[in-house]
Amino acid sequence: MSRDLTLVWLAEAAVFTLVVAGILAERPWALGATGAAIVAAGALVRFVPRLGTTLAGAFARRRPAALGAGVVLALALPLALRSSPYWTFVATLALLYVTIGQGLNLQIGTAGVINLAGAAFAGLGGYSVGLLTVAAGWPSWLAVLVGPWVAVAVGTILFVPILKTRGHYLALVTIAFVFIFNILMNNLEFTGGPQGIKNIPTLRLLGHAFTTKPVLAGVELPSHANFYYAALVMAGLTTWVLRRLHDSWLGLALNTLRDDEIAARCCGVSITRGKLLAFSIGNFFIGLGGAFYAVMVGFVSPPDFDFGYSLVMLSVIIIGGVDSIPGVVLGACLLVPLPERFRFLHEYRLLLYGVVIVVMLLYRPQGLWPAQVRRYR
Amino acid sequence: MPPLELLLQQAWNGVMLGVMYALVAVGFTLFFGVLDVIHFSHGDIFMLGAFAGLTVLVGLKAAGLGGPLVALPLTFAASILVTGLVGVAAERVCVKPLARASPLMTLLATLSLGLVIRESVLIFYPRGADPKPFPQLLPQGGFEVGGVAIRYESLVILGIGLAAMVAVDRVINRTKMGAAIRAVAQEPEAAQMMGVNLDRTVDATFFLGSGLAAVAGILSGLYYSEIHFIMGITGGVIGFSAAAIGGLGNVYGAIVGGLLFGVLQTTAAALIPRGSEFRDVVAFAVVMLFLVFKPSGILGEKIVERV
Amino acid sequence: MSVSPSLVEVAGLTVRFGGLVALDGVDVVVAEGETTFFNALTGLLVPAAGEIVFLGRRLAGLEAHVIARLGIARTFQASRLCLALSVFDNILIGMHAGRRTGVVDFVVRRGRFLGEMRTAIERVSHLLALFNGDLPRRGFERVGQLPQIDRRRVEICRALAAEPKLLLLDEPSAGMNPEETAELMRDLQIVREEMPGLSVVIIEHDMFVIEGVSQRVVAFNYGRKIAEGSFAEIAGHEEVREAYLGKETARA
Repeated sequence: MSRDLTLVWLAEAAVFTLVVAGILAERPWALGATGAAIVAAGALVRFVPRLGTTLAGAFARRRPAALGAGVVLALALPLALRSSPYWTFVATLALLYVTIGQGLNLQIGTAGVINLAGAAFAGLGGYSVGLLTVAAGWPSWLAVLVGPWVAVAVGTILFVPILKTRGHYLALVTIAFVFIFNILMNNLEFTGGPQGIKNIPTLRLLGHAFTTKPVLAGVELPSHANFYYAALVMAGLTTWVLRRLHDSWLGLALNTLRDDEIAARCCGVSITRGKLLAFSIGNFFIGLGGAFYAVMVGFVSPPDFDFGYSLVMLSVIIIGGVDSIPGVVLGACLLVPLPERFRFLHEYRLLLYGVVIVVMLLYRPQGLWPAQVRRYR
Repeated sequence: MPPLELLLQQAWNGVMLGVMYALVAVGFTLFFGVLDVIHFSHGDIFMLGAFAGLTVLVGLKAAGLGGPLVALPLTFAASILVTGLVGVAAERVCVKPLARASPLMTLLATLSLGLVIRESVLIFYPRGADPKPFPQLLPQGGFEVGGVAIRYESLVILGIGLAAMVAVDRVINRTKMGAAIRAVAQEPEAAQMMGVNLDRTVDATFFLGSGLAAVAGILSGLYYSEIHFIMGITGGVIGFSAAAIGGLGNVYGAIVGGLLFGVLQTTAAALIPRGSEFRDVVAFAVVMLFLVFKPSGILGEKIVERV
Repeated sequence: MSVSPSLVEVAGLTVRFGGLVALDGVDVVVAEGETTFFNALTGLLVPAAGEIVFLGRRLAGLEAHVIARLGIARTFQASRLCLALSVFDNILIGMHAGRRTGVVDFVVRRGRFLGEMRTAIERVSHLLALFNGDLPRRGFERVGQLPQIDRRRVEICRALAAEPKLLLLDEPSAGMNPEETAELMRDLQIVREEMPGLSVVIIEHDMFVIEGVSQRVVAFNYGRKIAEGSFAEIAGHEEVREAYLGKETARA
């Protein structure tokens, strides 16, 4: 039994070390060593017989311990990255994409409701926060909690009629909506036009302002770490909620209506109600990500929420794993930091996403971490 | 309420735009008819056609063959060929392999393919991010009819557009390949049993649709005197909407939808304050409204599902 | 299998597809490939004329999921299972209408939901075991990995899981060889024994199956009812033989 435990903790520690080294390595020898280590690890798992299955078995048997260790490592990450406020920021951004991704995944992956307006719903959350705080003087924490509901309300009002029609029409309407949203934000006065809304006050929780540097275990961390921990809680809660929704009557009904609407109807599933529920719940979490983003960076503007970001969100889901809760986490953790690390690729980022998605859909449509069968735990 | 001449002027502009939209819409509707897929990268194919045309034009000018009578036909021919082939390649790589799988997969794949095409132009075309001026090849000047200004340029564009539509109609209704396309659209299995080569018919459909989009792209360049790498997104949305309005699978519906869309867009822009800025908003709002109330389109969509 | 008159009454049912009349003034129907009838009954199609009354309630025009919740369950001619989902999931969805826990329970009062699900899975296992003792232990495998005959059983179990009052089977023997057909008839026998209060309507082409399982048969041709009675009566009926065998052969 303790062999499983050792394997799990060793594996997680190894991944953590490689990730941190990969992020922070500067000098050529360090980069080379890290790269070689990553390749070696990958080759080991791939080619040493039964190593992969042994590891998988150990993780399956020791799920709570694996999860616990993962949480500890996630908490420790800012410590490891404390020399780089930039990378703390990137890590936080990844957590935002986890939040948004889980919401979008419920819509597209679980229910088959094709929402290409993720960027607009995130924008609704973000702009709501901007308006509530700057124009109406609300405290940031309250605005962040209320902002997502604006996304939900808009989604429901505008899309109820379309949800009843066929999938490709919804896709079209959501694309149209992103563009409408962008043009409106750019041209309306009260949303600040092309400049957007600036000077959104930072979060203040229990007297602690998120602009002050926190101290963990006696070590001072960059101020972004405040947002990292808040985002960790947010992403963790989101994943927890969505996993429970997925492994439930709701998730089952949504999967069925995604795969076979006629069979679902004959089993008593109301298609309209199911799609609307998935759409609304998903939009809440997408809006939440956008709202958090607004207080994190302190301003929102139209280019922050354009169609390109909808496609990035889509990539997270497809590459990570459609309808897969852990897949979304993996997708976000890969797709957000990698382009930052390989800066020279930044220009080619969207092009690469497009190519990778097409390749994945052709050869591994289930994604990197495929959805597993429901076990109702 | 703006004066009648202004409305008529806008209606005329709308017809111009509508012809271009119709050409893109026909592609969407043909692809849906033949493979039951929405080819989301078709808009970017339209953009590719424009850029291919521009490249040929620039090349011809450099070679001293810049005169309109020589350059235009060559440009159209070259662009249609290139774009048509890219369209077929896209279908072979991305659309047909996934057509059996869920429509969700095809949608996502073609969406991503569109992204690849768009980003490729942005990255690899010199200074791709900037709008590119399109050479003026058409005769300038015009005349007036009842207060409405009609440019010679517009007449040529309209003429080419209509010629393209007539050509499509001829191909679909008078040629063997056209009959094959119609057969596959109605009953693929029966068509195959009658000896129709499914793969070649699908290839031909995609070549045809993409070629039409190329024509639309060049016309768009001539009309606006510039092209931009993101024109495919709006072009695609409008083209798809027009096809949907006319009823997916129905070629005449696509043409009607395109014209209707163009006229609606320009007249609405004339009636709404600050309409020209919000022109696209108006267009998209019209789309949304239309799909809400009449999703199966004006001339009816072909229904696929059997119980 | 019988259709008791007070369970379903169909009068003058007419369904049109454009100019094509698929069902024409039908009164009570079984057999002869009329999936259209099932579709009208379960709400997937809206009839152009006529009435369907189920346990005193009018069905025509109701939505499919509403009709399902009234107690009518069905299988489909072409198998409609979610191949990527587990065997259990494909049957559990049949119990969707009877669920008692909601979104709040799924997230915060998970214990309650898990209790309900445990009971549900037990019932599903019991249903599966009726037909094939091997299936329950494969419950968490993807249903796509099961052989065709077991997939048919899963579909029947999904319909039964809803504890319906009326079960509609649409050509269950389609595509089956003689061994599989014999197994199917055994399965139908099991359904009859385990659920004596359940009424079953079957669409069938296979005379062997009809003869083996039916208590009352209704035959129709081109959307019109042409005969009704026991199998022996139907088999001897001239118009039925004509429809099946052609005019000359029928006279012989």
